[in-house]
Amino acid sequence: MPNTIAEDLTVDSLQSLSQVQVGYDFQIKVLDGPGCDQLRKLGFCETLQVRKLANGRNLICNVCGTRMAVSSELAKQVKVTPLKVGV
Amino acid sequence: MDSAQETVALAGNPNSGKTTLFNALTGSSAKVGNYAGVTVDLKRAEFHTPHGRKLTLLDLPGCYGLDESSPDQEIARSVLNGSHVKCPKPDLVVSVVDASNLERHLQLTLQIIELDIPVVVALNMVDMAEKSGLRLDPVKLSEELGVPVVPIQANKGKGLVELKQAMAHPFPPAAEPGWKVGDEQERRKFGLNVAQIAARRPNQQSSSVSDKIDSIVLHPVLGWVCFLGIMFALFWSIFSFSGIPMGWIESLQDFLVGQVEGAIAEGDFSDLITHGIIEGVGAVVIFLPQILMLFFFIGLMESSGYMARAAYLMDGFMSKVGLSGKAFLPLLSSFACAIPGVMATRTIDSAKERLVTIFVAPWMSCSARLPVYLLLVPMLLGGSEGGSTQAAIFMAIYILGTLSAFLVARVLRGKLGPDEVEHHFMLELPPYRFPQWSYIFRHVLDRGWAFLKNAGTIILAIMILLWAASTYPKLDSDDPAKQLAHTVVGRISAAIEPIVKPLGFDGRTGTAILTSFAAREVFVGSMAQLFQVEESEEDTETRSRIRDRLASETWADGRKMFSPAAVISLLIFYIYALQCLPTTAVVAREAGSWKWAIGQFVFMTVFAGVASLIAFQTISFFTR
Repeated sequence: MPNTIAEDLTVDSLQSLSQVQVGYDFQIKVLDGPGCDQLRKLGFCETLQVRKLANGRNLICNVCGTRMAVSSELAKQVKVTPLKVGV
Repeated sequence: MDSAQETVALAGNPNSGKTTLFNALTGSSAKVGNYAGVTVDLKRAEFHTPHGRKLTLLDLPGCYGLDESSPDQEIARSVLNGSHVKCPKPDLVVSVVDASNLERHLQLTLQIIELDIPVVVALNMVDMAEKSGLRLDPVKLSEELGVPVVPIQANKGKGLVELKQAMAHPFPPAAEPGWKVGDEQERRKFGLNVAQIAARRPNQQSSSVSDKIDSIVLHPVLGWVCFLGIMFALFWSIFSFSGIPMGWIESLQDFLVGQVEGAIAEGDFSDLITHGIIEGVGAVVIFLPQILMLFFFIGLMESSGYMARAAYLMDGFMSKVGLSGKAFLPLLSSFACAIPGVMATRTIDSAKERLVTIFVAPWMSCSARLPVYLLLVPMLLGGSEGGSTQAAIFMAIYILGTLSAFLVARVLRGKLGPDEVEHHFMLELPPYRFPQWSYIFRHVLDRGWAFLKNAGTIILAIMILLWAASTYPKLDSDDPAKQLAHTVVGRISAAIEPIVKPLGFDGRTGTAILTSFAAREVFVGSMAQLFQVEESEEDTETRSRIRDRLASETWADGRKMFSPAAVISLLIFYIYALQCLPTTAVVAREAGSWKWAIGQFVFMTVFAGVASLIAFQTISFFTR
């Protein structure tokens, strides 16, 4: 189906939260992986804004004003797109 | 309680300020309901509406949604469905929502609305939300959700009158969901839209005070310096400051003994009250100040927001032994007492990790072991208490217990295999806040009372039994040694001596160990009784007298009974043995299996025995 292929291409072109640079704001585009439910439960939803604050084994980010520590494995399942230049 | 009395339930995400609101609404009448077999606590209290109507208020466990099967969420769901055996279906639900994070918190509110129950939204922490630049519109939120919305600041008691007005009779009707009921995607979309309409975020996010503090306390190097400094301050405070209230308890105990001895004629009954009950129960109560202080510091760390940071820092280290950062808090609590430590494992998501944490928690040297260490360690140093060598040995004892626990956790985690559903570390780092002193003190008092109730009653029973076993049957002799040998305890000593002798102990020490299986701290009193040492009003003096007596004890062939090898063997036994019946009972309840609790007890006892045997035989071989 063309739509599915297009969507797949879009997801492939996105970066994961674990890959992006610290100090910048991003928009969550897709949650892709087995940890999606766990992520949504804690507020990681498509279209929301996220700021990455620190890298590491567990990275730190800010979603809707709440600081979260998320394992890098889970962060790989959060596909984001740059929003604007951070502070 | 009036059966017609209506019930209001407080529901919300963890950290939304539910308990603060519960305490603010109910005041000092709040009580903790710890139902048997339930793995999370439900709080229940009564309060009055502005019209004088009495309502029952339930504080449900914090949860993110009602579609999961974890024990806390199951409790919340069963209460809201009306299927919980101990709680009626609520007539009204107050959904407590953190105003700073509507996107996430509204999801639970929408799930509750789907249950067709009247709902009032308590929009909490509006001051902090507005301070962060968020522009809230509670009227719009109320219109979109179709339920009353009341902005509140539960910690400052603001908005409570308005909230009570919203709970006044008649309750608002159940709202009509504006999405297809049961469709998770639609519900989520609806929630996000409502959040965007009712709370406008600033375009530019600036660094908050919490961000600045986190840049230090979560720094890869500075973070560890802060963490170690805080841990050192915590333990130093517990062991230094608690000496004062412990002295008060000792004085009270002596006063009570004096009063009873003055009022009741000398005899078995007086002996039972003074030596059996007052001194026996006093042996447990004496540790209450240390336990309360540890809970105070833990409450301080939780209330300020640091505990989540400590769990974050420890996650990397804990993962090396198959645990996560969430196991840190239970293990830290276990240094005071394994019972709250085991109960604190409820926050761990993975069932297998939780079981492993429960299994190893008793190897964190709890405060009940302290009197035993205080008696034995100076015997390795020529009898004097204090000094840096003693401090170093104490530290080595704590490290040995902790490292052994981590080693066993690693092996056990490997044996249990991976979780069916993979759990990744994910933790909310709440903004730093000034501690809520009233909440901390209430929490400390609750825990102190629970400690006294759980441990004190069992200790009381054991003390009476021990007193009877070491008093009867009576012998018509004035020689206390012959009298003791004739009693049940004396006969047990003679029977177990062949078993404990390879570990370096005689029958009396073996019996003292047996008596301390109910509670470790009994050991010091038992040794004093079994080696016929007269107890002094001062604990230090009593320990010194016991040490002098033990140092002069010899075997039949003239060898010293309490050689360094025997003392080290005894210390190792106390580091590893699980001698605490209340802990075993709590483990059985929390693990949901007596097999697990008995397995833990047998493993730790056998491990302690074998480790003592190896230590005694090895040291004896090299020092012969």
